[in-house]
Amino acid sequence: MIGVSTKNAASGDAISNKNQSAKDRKSTERVVHVRVLRQDGPGQASYWERHEIPYELNMNVISILQRIAQKSCTQDGRPVPPVAWDCNCLEEVCGSCTMVVNGRTRMACTSLVDALLVEDAQEIELRPMSKFPVVRDLVVDRRRVFHALKRVQAWIPIDGSFDQGPGPRISPDEQQDAYPLSTCMSCGCCLEACPQYTKIEIVKRPEETVEELGIRREAAFHREFMGAHAISQAMLFNNHPTGRMNAEERLSSLTSQGGIQMCGNAQNCVAVCPKSIPLTRSIARAGRAATVWAIKKLFDR
Amino acid sequence: MAASTEQSQGSSFLGKHQFLVYRLFSLSGFIPVGAFVVVHLATNASILAGPEAFQSRVDMIHGLGPLLPIVEWLFIFLPMIFHASIGFVIISGGLPNVGSYPYVGNVRYTLQRATGMIAFAFILWHIIQLHWMGAALGGGAFDPHRASSSAATAIAPMLVGILYAIGIVSVVFHFSNGLWTLGITWGLWTSSAAMQRASWACLVIGLTLGTLGLGALVAMRAVDVEQAKSIEERMEQMHRDNSVEKTFLPTSKQGA
Ligand code: SF4
Ligand code: SF4
Ligand code: FES
Repeated sequence: MIGVSTKNAASGDAISNKNQSAKDRKSTERVVHVRVLRQDGPGQASYWERHEIPYELNMNVISILQRIAQKSCTQDGRPVPPVAWDCNCLEEVCGSCTMVVNGRTRMACTSLVDALLVEDAQEIELRPMSKFPVVRDLVVDRRRVFHALKRVQAWIPIDGSFDQGPGPRISPDEQQDAYPLSTCMSCGCCLEACPQYTKIEIVKRPEETVEELGIRREAAFHREFMGAHAISQAMLFNNHPTGRMNAEERLSSLTSQGGIQMCGNAQNCVAVCPKSIPLTRSIARAGRAATVWAIKKLFDR
Repeated sequence: MAASTEQSQGSSFLGKHQFLVYRLFSLSGFIPVGAFVVVHLATNASILAGPEAFQSRVDMIHGLGPLLPIVEWLFIFLPMIFHASIGFVIISGGLPNVGSYPYVGNVRYTLQRATGMIAFAFILWHIIQLHWMGAALGGGAFDPHRASSSAATAIAPMLVGILYAIGIVSVVFHFSNGLWTLGITWGLWTSSAAMQRASWACLVIGLTLGTLGLGALVAMRAVDVEQAKSIEERMEQMHRDNSVEKTFLPTSKQGA
């Protein structure tokens, strides 16, 4: 295996420069070098920090962060507060641990160190997502992800708590079609990689109340691109026999400002989605539904 | 929260009608702008059959007489201006990231924007250089009665030839790749298999148009200007002889 500094020196001249410095550190135990882009709070300047932690078998990025927290000092021995991060399920279902690892957006919990060192043997680079405001270090404010789900009504409304009897039957084919879409965990990878999705960071004005700030933020979210995940969820519910009852409302959202028309068909979303959700299929289906709906609206008016 | 379908307050005109405007943008790239490009490249390719064939195509088009500028503005210039303006709005809103995500789709996304801008610059220059409207700016070199010889003279310099080749390739890529994204936007191809097939089809269209365009460029630059002039003079003479009955044929003042 490559990727451990003690072994690197043996791997030839081609990459000898960097290997040399690794060798100079004379580490006898296998260490992993980590570079983290830190930020102390919202709106503050970010800075890079290097950490060095002992290699362990089957590590993932979360365990790296745990070791960094344990040590709480940088590579050159300076004590620092532990790096903050988000995680929850540790099995790629909650979607909370998204970060930019070695330049690519992905889930920290399923980013295995051995695989990362194959990508880059020298070091592992951790950055917060760039499309969301940083709260602290690797923690970002992802409320826009959920706002988009509200926009497209990514749910099925129920009108009461009484038993409404069994719902309509769904054919196995439809189930097969819908299941992948239902695995979306709102991680936001699709948004981070999307060239059409740009960051919105609303800074509180001194004279503004928290409520006014919230209204201003929602308005901004409403104007900008909702993102591939929301389009896909809208299609999930629009193709569900009960969800279909609100299909018009969802189509109306999908074609409002910041809707599907903002997609530029770069198809990064589908390439980076950790759940391999066929997002571009959803986007094209939404496009088709919008086409039909727009024409119908034109003639039914 | 109000109904989630509700529009936010204070959005711009473009914001309120974003869906419609972007769909019209998408459509305009195909019809009429794209359709015109195809016709234009095909017309130019007639030079491959010699100056006579090209001249007769040009005569046909200019046979529209006073209607020609109306057709030009309605079906070519105005839709192009619309497509280009919205295109710049779209480009300014995006944040290309091929460096971090070097996927084929993303490369195409970035190239679509790059070729769009090259195509815009090229078309602007091309119009100024050859169209009569460009005369005021020192261009307007194309003479409809001396189609091949005037065009060949204008694009004879090596640098012009190279820039034309870049322009043509950009326009053709932008059109054929745009055709593919148009199919996704409007929902013509939705599954990834269908998108893949459509992608091949668009590639074939692109290669065909590219061959036509570059072929015409090479053939036009290879035209023997003196020989072409004599052919064109003969053809114009023939038309004059006929124009007593056929008044719709081009009058010579248009060439000025
Ligand atoms: S669609 Fe995929 S990448 Fe996007 S939020 Fe859902 S799971 Fe994450
Ligand atoms: S296909 Fe659309 S939503 Fe997906 S990454 Fe590209 S622009 Fe973004
Ligand atoms: S911790 Fe839940 S997805 Fe990584």
